[in-house]
Amino acid sequence: MKQSITLDYTLPEGCLQPHFEALRRGEALASKCGACGHVAFPARVLCADCGSDALGWVTLPGTARVSCRTGGAEKGVALVRFDGADAMSTVALKNPEIAGETGKLSVPENSEAGLWLLLDTVTAKGDGNV
Amino acid sequence: MLNDVKIAGGAMTPFNRRKDGSSFRDWSRTAVSGALKDASLEPRDIDMLVVASESDFFTLQLNPAALLADECGLFGVAAQRAEGGGASGHVAFHAGVAALAGGMAKRVLVLGVEPSASHLKGADVGALYALSFDAWTDGMTGVDATSLYALSAQMFMQRTGAKHADFAQIAVRNRQNAGLNPYAHLPLDVSIDDVVSSTLVAAPYHRLDCSPLSDGAAALILARAKDLPQNGQTRASVKGLGNSTDRVRLGERSDPGYFAGKREASRRAFSMAGVEVTDIGLAEVYDSYSGAQLQALEALGLVEDVVAAERSGMFAADGAMPVNLSGGLLGQGAPVGATGVAQVIAAALQLEGRYWGLRPAKAARFALVDTHGGIATLNTVSILEAP
Ligand SMILES: [Zn+2]
Repeated sequence: MKQSITLDYTLPEGCLQPHFEALRRGEALASKCGACGHVAFPARVLCADCGSDALGWVTLPGTARVSCRTGGAEKGVALVRFDGADAMSTVALKNPEIAGETGKLSVPENSEAGLWLLLDTVTAKGDGNV
Repeated sequence: MLNDVKIAGGAMTPFNRRKDGSSFRDWSRTAVSGALKDASLEPRDIDMLVVASESDFFTLQLNPAALLADECGLFGVAAQRAEGGGASGHVAFHAGVAALAGGMAKRVLVLGVEPSASHLKGADVGALYALSFDAWTDGMTGVDATSLYALSAQMFMQRTGAKHADFAQIAVRNRQNAGLNPYAHLPLDVSIDDVVSSTLVAAPYHRLDCSPLSDGAAALILARAKDLPQNGQTRASVKGLGNSTDRVRLGERSDPGYFAGKREASRRAFSMAGVEVTDIGLAEVYDSYSGAQLQALEALGLVEDVVAAERSGMFAADGAMPVNLSGGLLGQGAPVGATGVAQVIAAALQLEGRYWGLRPAKAARFALVDTHGGIATLNTVSILEAP
């Protein structure tokens, strides 16, 4: 038998709504622990380090350095550390054809979920970013 | 802690991509009747059913435990469904042991089933599997399982010096091990060159480094010795269980290349079993990807230097600790809910000296079974003892 279902979800983001709203604007809104100062990006509802729920918001510059990456020219995924964050993040690469080691948080297309990173284009000398 | 819980019998269907028009209900019936026959029991002897199935998206059947109890002739049993991502089958096994240990049941049938291959297109299955991670930050971004495993493997390689050739050797050996397993999905005779020249999916992983999507079912029966024919004296016993979670987001782990949750699950299982690492004579380990087998063996604490041990041949059939003689997920296949159940069956039958596939050069007294969901996010370890 054949069966096809189209499921159209609406997912409330709860306590993390400010984080996801910021992502859709291309802004890196992280959670910061009021007890130990740990900065989490993507944001968390509980501190990953000490478990405290006394979290506030802090805006990061959105720049990141790539630790390792995989995938091909069409699709890329990387583990990166956003400047100001205390842990790494997994991101989808917006321009995986680029071999850059740094990048900036990017507005996702079509309000997609998650973190998208636009890699910086390395200059011919390989010693800077444009 | 555990007193005399036996694996009374087990059976599985072939793991493969079904093209014969049979349904997951058919496979379930085959596995259940096979397990009952193997245990010399009747359906009426079973008082509890635990069904492992990762996702209703695969079966398109909610409340599957009630349906499968009905379809398999286990009328009126207590029934539940257990789930833990890729570890669902092994989690169901633990749930069955817990029900026995807690006096809630006398004879438990654990049934794992999944139509992971034939029901949906591969890309749709991949999109569903991606929801095994933090769906909001990873799965919905299109960050897929292979990419996350690849990133973790890269970190493991950086720390340990493991090379892709080490991973490829595992991809080759597990397929060769599967060659004697009549139920295996991929009993392939491939070379390291074949692995390296297969399509690059996500570096370091090539197509042949990845386990397949499979259809199939596996079932086993648990009971105390006193509740079994001949007191189950020819059957393996359950000695220790351990389960532990790790941080869901890969980036939040202190070393994304180390399976810390598996380390803890293993420690708990050894502690309950009261045995030492050196007592383990063989292992069935969760090799969703070739490199993940090495990462698992490292975290399980079975050896000091896992890369050196791999290169020394320790994990081959004639090595000191044969691993995945069934072929593992890479060779035997991976119908998710059935995977962990089949791993336990393989280990138990090896200990009983009646395994249908490749056997170790030296009979083992204790065997370890390891399964996980996510990327070693939910980890399940069991230690079994020979009769
Ligand atoms: Zn804190």
